[in-house]
Amino acid sequence: MAIINYAQKVINFKVVYYGPGVAGKTANLQHIHRSLPGDSKGNMISLAAGDDRTLFFDFLPVSALTVRGFTAKFQLYTVPGQVFYNMTRKLVLRGCDGLVFVADSQWDRLRENVESFRNMEENLREYSYNIDEIPYVIQYNKRDLANIAPLEYMEFLLNRRARRVPSFEAVAVNGDGVFDTLNTVSRMVLVGEFGQEKGADRETA
Amino acid sequence: MVIREGDSEKINQVLTAFLGESGASEALLIDRSGQLLAMTGANRALDTVSISALAAGAFSSTGALAQLLGETEFTVLFHQGAKESMHVSTVDDQAILLAIFGERTTVGMVRLFAKEAAISVGKILAEARERPKDIKEMSTPLTAEETRTGWTGFGEKKP
Repeated sequence: MAIINYAQKVINFKVVYYGPGVAGKTANLQHIHRSLPGDSKGNMISLAAGDDRTLFFDFLPVSALTVRGFTAKFQLYTVPGQVFYNMTRKLVLRGCDGLVFVADSQWDRLRENVESFRNMEENLREYSYNIDEIPYVIQYNKRDLANIAPLEYMEFLLNRRARRVPSFEAVAVNGDGVFDTLNTVSRMVLVGEFGQEKGADRETA
Repeated sequence: MVIREGDSEKINQVLTAFLGESGASEALLIDRSGQLLAMTGANRALDTVSISALAAGAFSSTGALAQLLGETEFTVLFHQGAKESMHVSTVDDQAILLAIFGERTTVGMVRLFAKEAAISVGKILAEARERPKDIKEMSTPLTAEETRTGWTGFGEKKP
């Protein structure tokens, strides 16, 4: 839920990176944290288990441009991807304004992607969010690996709802596609909250 | 939710009174999604953004624990340190109040006055949420340029 604070002239949004375990959600945040200058990011927090897998969430606050006198701030969260952490995953979704679904492009992970996407839909429903209305994008990660499914097939699996959403190929550990994804979802969140001039940008229509 | 300047002033008055009565050093009003709504207290460099995200996470996880026991929620979360402690309590179903306090007061005092402050702050937040989200600056739709969020120097493909 966007929080608009007149006293501070700040608008806060929450964006959650969702997806199966080891798909690269944390790698996205780590790249953003590495790349942004100090004045447009806060501290990154990772609540991870011993094996570097996210136990509860990762958290990274970033600031964007000023929009009509308000600084737009985005709080980026990841959820734990592993199936049995659904309870904590659901807690992290609370109050989110937009989502990035990070899919693992490898053939042997396709089933996990589909299951995680379904799980995202279910968890959103519990918070009375409608997947056909909430801004989200899909990121097909690990495109540098050898055993990956073609993009068209991934789209067929994950992006065939009536509303086709923007999708991106990525190699998050190298940073490829990370900012394309972030820029697009943050723009969609802004437009979702305040509307946009008709025909101004097809990508976010 | 839109927090107007008037809301901020009222919230700060309640939080300042709470600090005076309870002896706590800082009070943070936090949305349960993890966002800081207001803060009052000693002027020291605390990473309040991180504190808010972590406290909301801890409190929501405590709530899930409560439900496993058949409770609706645990209304208070208390962390005791050697010198500083933290008390987190329910304001309403969307917000929590976090107080940081040292040795000059006790958890009992903080708990007592946090309850009173929560009622007052809860009323202000309820009014803010019910008000129509009428923001004059945003009354016309954003242009494409205005929605470019400012990280374009970091690898965004030109449309």
